[in-house]
Amino acid sequence: MDERVLTELARICGAEAVLHDPLQLLTYECDALPYLRSSPSVVVLPSSTAEVQAVVRVCHQEGIPFVARGHGTGLSGGALPPSGGAVIALSRLNRVLDVDIPNRRVTVEPGVTNLDITKAVAPHGYYYAPDPSSQQVCSIGGNVAENSGGAHCLKYGFTVHHVLALEVVLPDGEIAHIGSPMVDAPGPDLLGLFVGSEGTLGIATRIVVRILRKPESVQTLLAAFDTIDAGGEVVSAIIGAGIIPAAVEMMDSLAIRAAEAAVHPNFPEADTILIVELDGPEAEVRSLFQIVEATCRSHGATAIEIAPDDVQRARIWRGRKAAFAAMGRVSPNYYVQDGVVPRTKLPEVLGRIRALEARSGLRIGNVFHAGDGNLHPLICYDERVPGETGRAVDVAAEILAYCVEAGGSITGEHGVGADKAGSMPRMFSADDLEAMQRVRDAFDPRHLCNPGKIFPTPRLCGEVPGPYRQHPAEAAGVAERF
Amino acid sequence: MPGSIVEPESAEALAALLAWASREGASVVLSGRGTRLGWGRRPRAIDLLISTRRLNRVLAHSHGDLTATVEAGATVHEVNRELMRHRQWLPIDVVDDDATIGGAIATNDSGPLRHRHGTPRDQLIGIHLATTDGRVVKAGGNVVKNVAGYDLGKLVSGSFGGLAAIATATFKLAPLPTASATVAATFRDADATARAAGAISASQLDPAAFEVRGVGGPYVLLIQFASTQAAIDTQVDQLRALIAADAVDLVAGDAERDLWRRHVRGVWASPGVIVRAGWLPASLAAVLALLNEIAGQGTGIEIAARAGVGAGVIRIDGDVVSSVAALGRLRGRTDVLGHVVILRAGPDVKQQIDVWGSANDHAALLGRVKHAFDPAGVLNAGRGPV
Repeated sequence: MDERVLTELARICGAEAVLHDPLQLLTYECDALPYLRSSPSVVVLPSSTAEVQAVVRVCHQEGIPFVARGHGTGLSGGALPPSGGAVIALSRLNRVLDVDIPNRRVTVEPGVTNLDITKAVAPHGYYYAPDPSSQQVCSIGGNVAENSGGAHCLKYGFTVHHVLALEVVLPDGEIAHIGSPMVDAPGPDLLGLFVGSEGTLGIATRIVVRILRKPESVQTLLAAFDTIDAGGEVVSAIIGAGIIPAAVEMMDSLAIRAAEAAVHPNFPEADTILIVELDGPEAEVRSLFQIVEATCRSHGATAIEIAPDDVQRARIWRGRKAAFAAMGRVSPNYYVQDGVVPRTKLPEVLGRIRALEARSGLRIGNVFHAGDGNLHPLICYDERVPGETGRAVDVAAEILAYCVEAGGSITGEHGVGADKAGSMPRMFSADDLEAMQRVRDAFDPRHLCNPGKIFPTPRLCGEVPGPYRQHPAEAAGVAERF
Repeated sequence: MPGSIVEPESAEALAALLAWASREGASVVLSGRGTRLGWGRRPRAIDLLISTRRLNRVLAHSHGDLTATVEAGATVHEVNRELMRHRQWLPIDVVDDDATIGGAIATNDSGPLRHRHGTPRDQLIGIHLATTDGRVVKAGGNVVKNVAGYDLGKLVSGSFGGLAAIATATFKLAPLPTASATVAATFRDADATARAAGAISASQLDPAAFEVRGVGGPYVLLIQFASTQAAIDTQVDQLRALIAADAVDLVAGDAERDLWRRHVRGVWASPGVIVRAGWLPASLAAVLALLNEIAGQGTGIEIAARAGVGAGVIRIDGDVVSSVAALGRLRGRTDVLGHVVILRAGPDVKQQIDVWGSANDHAALLGRVKHAFDPAGVLNAGRGPV
């Protein structure tokens, strides 16, 4: 990078906030999808909106591509640095600016972690609803970029349903305020467009979210089944009875064994376990929970465990939320896929995945948000075995094809990023993508803001999509996978 | 009056009409059945009024998946009649039985159901749009969880037909509640009303709808519970213990249905200027005080609003001069009210005060988005907001 530009960046943010030593840049080469790597020319760590704005202006003037980065937990390469470009790391923008309990709003900077919002309001009896598995470490700015979900989005929706207002630095360095703490700002819903645009439309520097009152009652049940189909039928029967649980999760035997090895949640030995959580007014939860329990029994549950208190509930969720990372205990390498099918197609698609498992010779663990049909197949392989990495990649791609054929989506919550940009034509026609591209051009005509994401471009020579490899930070024992 | 009215029967025909208009520079206004056609600024000359009334089919109801795909010209009522066969519904309030799905999205209009279900944009999961270059494009999909690509459904929410025409929409649905009951709590005093509203919001009660109405007193809070009967009974008891109202009525069955129908339509039933506005929920006392102040100066004023969300409609009854003065006062109190948008008003009022209010710091960005979708500027005849 040009000395003149580095000097300018140092003038804006301070010399210690500008990293360009190759060793320092290593951390920023990838996010939590480490197979995709690219070295940035510079990493800048601004401490204020004004500094972000000034840095973006420099990038805009100099034609330097840039990407905003939160805490690097993304699973689609959304924070992959543009080659030769700048990473604008927002970890220093980590202040909770305002907690407004009477109005149920919290204003934060993008580097605040998801869970820290809940921690700030929990003493008052409130919480922030979207709860991605990485919530302890992922940044709210990243959640906004990816429209993150989580286990409880079946009932409570996604990030886009909980963000009220954003201060955004646009790709040309202008600042815009979109949405509003007072609802019903007139005009097209730019906030809804921005949330989930994967960092391609600008950088959110201030975020107003709404918080919810903790429900009066929470009940969590874990049921074991001999077949995955029986678990799936229970989910359909619960929804068919007009019950919208707070969460409905399923894990298959491989995922159960992995979770057991990693965090010892004391799950029963089973082909499939189903976790159902209801929350709300005590009387409502009590009566509906009886229906859920009876439904599990009538569909042949081999074991039912009801969490008697928050400690036991936390144990069940620890087992579920650790499932991805836990695969490392049962397989040298694994690939986390993220696809969605209409809920009623779950048995059919799971059947196809099982057949694929047998055909490919690769074990596939299944952990999924069964309530909304969001699958997370975990494809196990050993990169030391010649050809196995390639087979894992093919298997992952084939599962996405099943999802699209069933009327679903190539991503439910991890985002398209750089990883699945090439799969977008499976879902969208050239016309569809062109319409989306027009939106992008209106925000960022020079394509400097997180280029190479979402929109398909021809893959680079020798580039292969997908499998998991250990992140340098994981190898060093300073980070864990979610 | 528009030069001509066209009612296309397919998304492709809709797109072809837009392409023609764009080529010819013909001014187009998009409409469903026209129930909200008077909203927005006074239109410039309209060459072509395109109605989606013949695009009115329910294309799919996947009741096992709690989703449905419908054409833009179907009315919310027609759609719900169909969905209710499987005890499901699309919980969107409409004032007029003829209000269409496309209009609900384009205006992002909402009512009491918003408390639990949000506005139409919150329920939309996929969309097909006809664009001015003659294409039919889609965004989102058929599944409730999906983050692939830009959410163009959100982009057209609140666009009033200024960017593209909505051809079909896919929604996530809700199960019909098994039972419901509504508490109508009456208060003489505005501050007591606001205190009760604050206590309800801070409680663990889980109302399906939570409304406030009345100016100058008496004030009424309407709190609807929709759940199992046992949960409704318990919450009604908890509510009675929580608030100090002057009178509390419990309404269920047909009477409850009538009450909500009257409440949703009541504000609109008599003539007068109607505005939409938002506020921070804890500012309810200040909002009611402001309305009382205006009423104290002889201008009739009424409100029907979401007490928990901080949003609703206000009707002003008066001649042009006093209406414009009242609007000015509502707009002037930015510390209390935000986004005071005029929905219904006569031409004399609209001539004196802009229906959308002051510009914001993303006007230039919005202009670029508008240009990207409507480069010839043929859509919406200047009615705004784009």
